[in-house]
Amino acid sequence: MTISSSQLRTTGGMATWSTHPWVRFGSRRLARLVISLLALVTASFLMIHLIPGDPVRSALGPAASQSLVEARRESLGLNDPLWVQYWHFLRSLVTGDLGTSITTGLPVSDVIGDRLPATVQLAVAAFVLAVLVSVPTGLVMGVLTRGGRRPRAELSFTSVSVVLAAIPEFLLAVGLVYLFAVKLAWLPVAGRSTPASYVLPVLALAIGPAAVLARICRVELLSVLQTDYLRTARAKRLPAATIYLRHALPNAVTATITLGGLLLGGMVAGTVLVENVFGWPGLGSTIVSSILSKDYPLVQGVVLVYGIGVLLVNLVVDVALALLDPRSTIRES
Amino acid sequence: MATRTKSGRHGWAAVIRTPLGLSAGLLLLLVLLLAVFAPVLWSHQASAIDTDHLLEGPSASHWLGTDNLGRDIFYRVLVATRQSIALALLATAIAVVTGLLLGTAPAVLGRRAGRLVTAVVNVAVAFPGLLLALFFAVIFGVGAKGAVLAIGFAGAPAFARLTQTLVAGVAARDFVAAARIAGAGRIRLLVRHILPNISEPLVVNATIGAGGALLAFAGLSFLGLGVQPPAYDWGRLMGESLNSIYVHPAAALAPGVAVVISGLAFNLFGEAVAKGLGVESIGVTRYRRCSEDSAQPEAPTSQYVVEDVVLSVRDLRVTFLGPDGPITPVRGVSFTIGHGEAVGVVGESGSGKSLTALAVAQLIEPPGQVSAERLDYLREPLLDTPDADRRQLLGTSFAMVFQDPTTSFNPTKRIGAQLAEGAREHQGLTRQQATTRAIDRLRAVRVPAAERRAGQYPHEFSGGMRQRAMIGMGLMGEPALIVADEPTTALDVTVQRQVLRLLESIRTEDGVALLLISHDITVIGQVCDRVLVMYAGRIVEDLPATALATGARHPYTRALLAAVPDLDTDLEQPLAVIPGRPVDPGRLPSGCAFAARCEFADDRCRTEDPELETQLDEGHRVACWHPQVVELGWPIRMGQR
Amino acid sequence: MADTNGTAMSELTFEQVTVRFGTGSRALTAVDSVDLTVPSGQVVGLVGESGSGKSTLARAAVGLTELAGGQILLDGVPLQHRSRGPRPLQLVFQDPYSSLDPRMTIGNSIAEAVPRSADYSRAGEVARLLELVDLDPERASAYPAALSGGQRQRVALARALAGRPEVILADEITSALDVSVQGTVLNLVRDLQRQLHLSMLFISHNLAVVRYVSDYIAVMYLGRIVEFGPAAELLGDPQHPYTRELLAAAPRRGALALDVEELDPALRAVADAEPADPHHPPPGCRFHPRCPIGPLVRPDRELCQTVDPTPDAGRHRHHTACHYAAAALQAVDLVQ
Ligand SMILES: Nc1ncnc2c1ncn2[C@@H]1O[C@H](COP(=O)(O)OP(=O)(O)OP(=O)(O)O)[C@@H](O)[C@H]1O
Ligand code: SF4
Ligand code: SF4
Ligand SMILES: [Mg+2]
Repeated sequence: MTISSSQLRTTGGMATWSTHPWVRFGSRRLARLVISLLALVTASFLMIHLIPGDPVRSALGPAASQSLVEARRESLGLNDPLWVQYWHFLRSLVTGDLGTSITTGLPVSDVIGDRLPATVQLAVAAFVLAVLVSVPTGLVMGVLTRGGRRPRAELSFTSVSVVLAAIPEFLLAVGLVYLFAVKLAWLPVAGRSTPASYVLPVLALAIGPAAVLARICRVELLSVLQTDYLRTARAKRLPAATIYLRHALPNAVTATITLGGLLLGGMVAGTVLVENVFGWPGLGSTIVSSILSKDYPLVQGVVLVYGIGVLLVNLVVDVALALLDPRSTIRES
Repeated sequence: MATRTKSGRHGWAAVIRTPLGLSAGLLLLLVLLLAVFAPVLWSHQASAIDTDHLLEGPSASHWLGTDNLGRDIFYRVLVATRQSIALALLATAIAVVTGLLLGTAPAVLGRRAGRLVTAVVNVAVAFPGLLLALFFAVIFGVGAKGAVLAIGFAGAPAFARLTQTLVAGVAARDFVAAARIAGAGRIRLLVRHILPNISEPLVVNATIGAGGALLAFAGLSFLGLGVQPPAYDWGRLMGESLNSIYVHPAAALAPGVAVVISGLAFNLFGEAVAKGLGVESIGVTRYRRCSEDSAQPEAPTSQYVVEDVVLSVRDLRVTFLGPDGPITPVRGVSFTIGHGEAVGVVGESGSGKSLTALAVAQLIEPPGQVSAERLDYLREPLLDTPDADRRQLLGTSFAMVFQDPTTSFNPTKRIGAQLAEGAREHQGLTRQQATTRAIDRLRAVRVPAAERRAGQYPHEFSGGMRQRAMIGMGLMGEPALIVADEPTTALDVTVQRQVLRLLESIRTEDGVALLLISHDITVIGQVCDRVLVMYAGRIVEDLPATALATGARHPYTRALLAAVPDLDTDLEQPLAVIPGRPVDPGRLPSGCAFAARCEFADDRCRTEDPELETQLDEGHRVACWHPQVVELGWPIRMGQR
Repeated sequence: MADTNGTAMSELTFEQVTVRFGTGSRALTAVDSVDLTVPSGQVVGLVGESGSGKSTLARAAVGLTELAGGQILLDGVPLQHRSRGPRPLQLVFQDPYSSLDPRMTIGNSIAEAVPRSADYSRAGEVARLLELVDLDPERASAYPAALSGGQRQRVALARALAGRPEVILADEITSALDVSVQGTVLNLVRDLQRQLHLSMLFISHNLAVVRYVSDYIAVMYLGRIVEFGPAAELLGDPQHPYTRELLAAAPRRGALALDVEELDPALRAVADAEPADPHHPPPGCRFHPRCPIGPLVRPDRELCQTVDPTPDAGRHRHHTACHYAAAALQAVDLVQ
């Protein structure tokens, strides 16, 4: 059932404080964030309890004595009723206490604090690079290939972007290492010591999403170029530059941001693989090693941090959309 | 004749026929064959340990070299195909089944429970798949089984969301409501009506999803969380040889290439199918540019003269290149519009009304082609005027109003700014001046509180108000002609009258000519001086509006008039109807295009196409071999059906 | 009520029917305490502008939308919307392109609506129905894609008739069709109704179309019925100012209904007034911001701005929901 937009008119000037669209938007968005956060926290809490068998036993191995396992269970609070454990979990979360690592005995929050910056650097740098390259490329390709123009350029653009997008980060990473570190020896194979060591990980992480984003940008631009209001703009005989930059671009970007946000979320997860290829000292290598060593408190903490990262990205995207699109506060329902 | 919809089996066959579809299909077939036969054929070679050749580079006996136990890497990669593909397919199956269950749950369970499922899916889908996979990998444990479950469940939310969207899209359609009224239960609705209509996008996405699962699996195995030794898949092979990439790159790269190729095979095949089954119109590449059509038939010669001509069109044609050769939806249209004259164009949908208007307005974009013997606006030949001059001329003196005021404004810009920008461009006004003029024009089209309204966005206007603003936009310059394409079709009758009245007052007060397009002959009759009746891309009759009621000569015009009930229609008589369907511009008959539906058609009509010629009185042209001269009895009777 | 003719009675009655959508600041009363009767074997035409609640009323009757208040009765018995089995009410939809399942042959679509019975075979029934709507029974195996809009709409009618309904609700069934086929469908509707003595609620925004098929006409404005009466009488002597406005805007042969001559500014203002926002309906008479004989033109009629005329509608001719309907009537009488 469609609702004609005349029925969706805002209350305009007579809006009181509490019905102001921004307040409504803010409170609704906040509620969603809280619910997602709660779901995330609960899921990461339950993760340990969903593991079949005794997690402590499997962490310590069959050789560990029963008394050691018992002691560890006790110290982890695993013998309390579930809801008590949940309550403790929530309470210590609020104070920033994520428990201690089973393997190293260090506080999980310290480990994460130590490792987080490297991961954030990687993700942010790759995202910025991807956006800077892909958005202009996609838009220019869109303009050049509109209405079936330049079919050959379209075909090569599409094939290159499809192939690049289909190669997962870690394969790309291995390929890049082979080419630039092994064959050409221009850049270091691994580590995070010199500025040069940033190049390959960032590229490995950025190329795939950039290809996807460029493709989306082009498709979005093409669909905007098909709209009635672009025809109206042409009927006003505006110069081509005005039509593209002032009418097409803002509308194409609105849709691109939504998908860009999803990609950024994906990049946060992509760091896991890339970090493992390059021995990058971030959360990604931590989570894999802790899963392998069954260091559950650490896994729990890192999963939580990744999840929060994703939720933040989503939040930023929604706010950006609301700022850019005058209809968004109303559309969102 | 039982034809399936375009997206039926026929669509799948068409996919295989495209180069992309064919190569992706073959690649996929190869990968699947390898998965089935490679372990049977080469297991032995792949596991043979050769301690004399440890970690060797490529050679004649070992094409890709050997690993640290001297096993042949080439065969290992081939044999690993089964493990990699089978696990990926298994994971995909889990994702699809779980996703389908979750996605259709809202349709089956009813509102409350459905909402809960939807909410859960919405939260889960916000997290990237890899993160979910790691989460599940922790729960299900490290190893192939754990990884299959992890990747399967991690893919489920996305699939559930897709299913939900598709189901919701189909469920909102009237045929589902109709089945409900007919007494079909929820399960029957789902199975008989909804699932068949979403099966294709689901299959396509499952294929693409399998590609994704393959890559994800490789990732997990690469990290050591997937397949455990002694079993191996491509990801495991890669992970094991990464450390020796300096000495022995082939061992790390070969499985990687295998992963990429098979991932691509799934992805590309899915994409090709999606494209083949999807909307045809996006397949723009099929339209080649159309060369100028030189062999045009003779233009009609008779052309009555109006002094003070605003627009003069002769032999206007609009051509597109369709899949089976050029189609010409507008074929040889000639007319003139005098100063302050209101000319209406009527015809059924697809008769070429809008294309004529767009061609006159120079808004046909390639691959469409416009040609005309003459297309003069304010005495300027539009087709020969340099671009910049033409923009200036049309930008200041030509106004266009479109059918749907909701979509014709840019949703992200304020109304005032949208009105002002043309004036800034063409009349050199400052932002301030242009805004003032915009407010003034909004007032002129009777938008209340024009000043405040100028600062609002289009969605804050009602439909009728938006259409007035659109007219106001045309009045920013000093138009000599307003072309309005179905300006009131999207509006209510009462609002329609407001808009028509506005157009009429602009015309009488400022002497602006009007080209009004509508499928509704009564609207045209009310507003216009002259009426052009279009059928199959031609004008078949051009007559004064006053003659419409009694003096129409063309059988089509008369039929149109009789078919529309009005408040004086005789209730005792059945309504007149026009039998048959409008002709498809790609399949024009020889002779008169209306012949198949015309009760007066004879052999001549079916072979010779009548020209639009002056009939009886000045200003009345008709294209018919047997123009009807009998007074139109009301309603005229035509064949039933 | 006793049935004197001996034929099955099928009178559809809406009693104080209210339908709401949304909650909070988004809440919208699409249908507001509507009373309406579709007499047995008669066609009631329902006109009104888009968003006035016509479709919602029809969808509520067949159970696609829940009622927020009131009840809908068939022959005095409240309707129950069973989830299974045939229903005595059938709805025909506006868009013939979305109302038929593209993956089902038209024969199957119709057969699905045929109740199981020992008296007739489904296939025979489908053939009979197709014949009834002037389609070749051979075409039962065709898919909707092979049919034109008009033909699809006839299939939709056949499907509605398959359940042997007592009442048909037709929601804008011709407005998606080209004028050249609209006539066919209207003729068919009239023939079928006369042949089968159906009761029918015929919804359209086009007064001329409604006039052609209806015995009675109801006019709806912003969720309320503002006038109801026998078709000829209502059109010949409209009581409510909104009905008059609709009539003035309706197509009339050759008449140039666009009175461009200068109106007095108050009249001009109401003539150009925006349609009201259904989320914030005006108080009192909902039509007052646009009423040419209301408070904005006649300042002494501020009653209209505060008091809803609907409860008193029964006192006026055609159940007109207007405080000054009688006055308007008298004025007309005086002139004559
Ligand atoms: N599911 C829904 N949710 C919210 N609002 C709805 C819904 N369905 C209808 N409405 C609103 O209810 C009002 C009445 O709608 P309805 O479709 O009944 O009008 P109508 O008179 O049939 O219009 P039209 O002539 O355009 O078909 C409108 O304001 C519409 O936007
Ligand atoms: S030319 Fe012949 S077929 Fe065509 S409209 Fe005239 S009479 Fe009919
Ligand atoms: S009640 Fe008043 S405002 Fe309403 S229609 Fe009658 S006169 Fe007009
Ligand atoms: Mg409706």
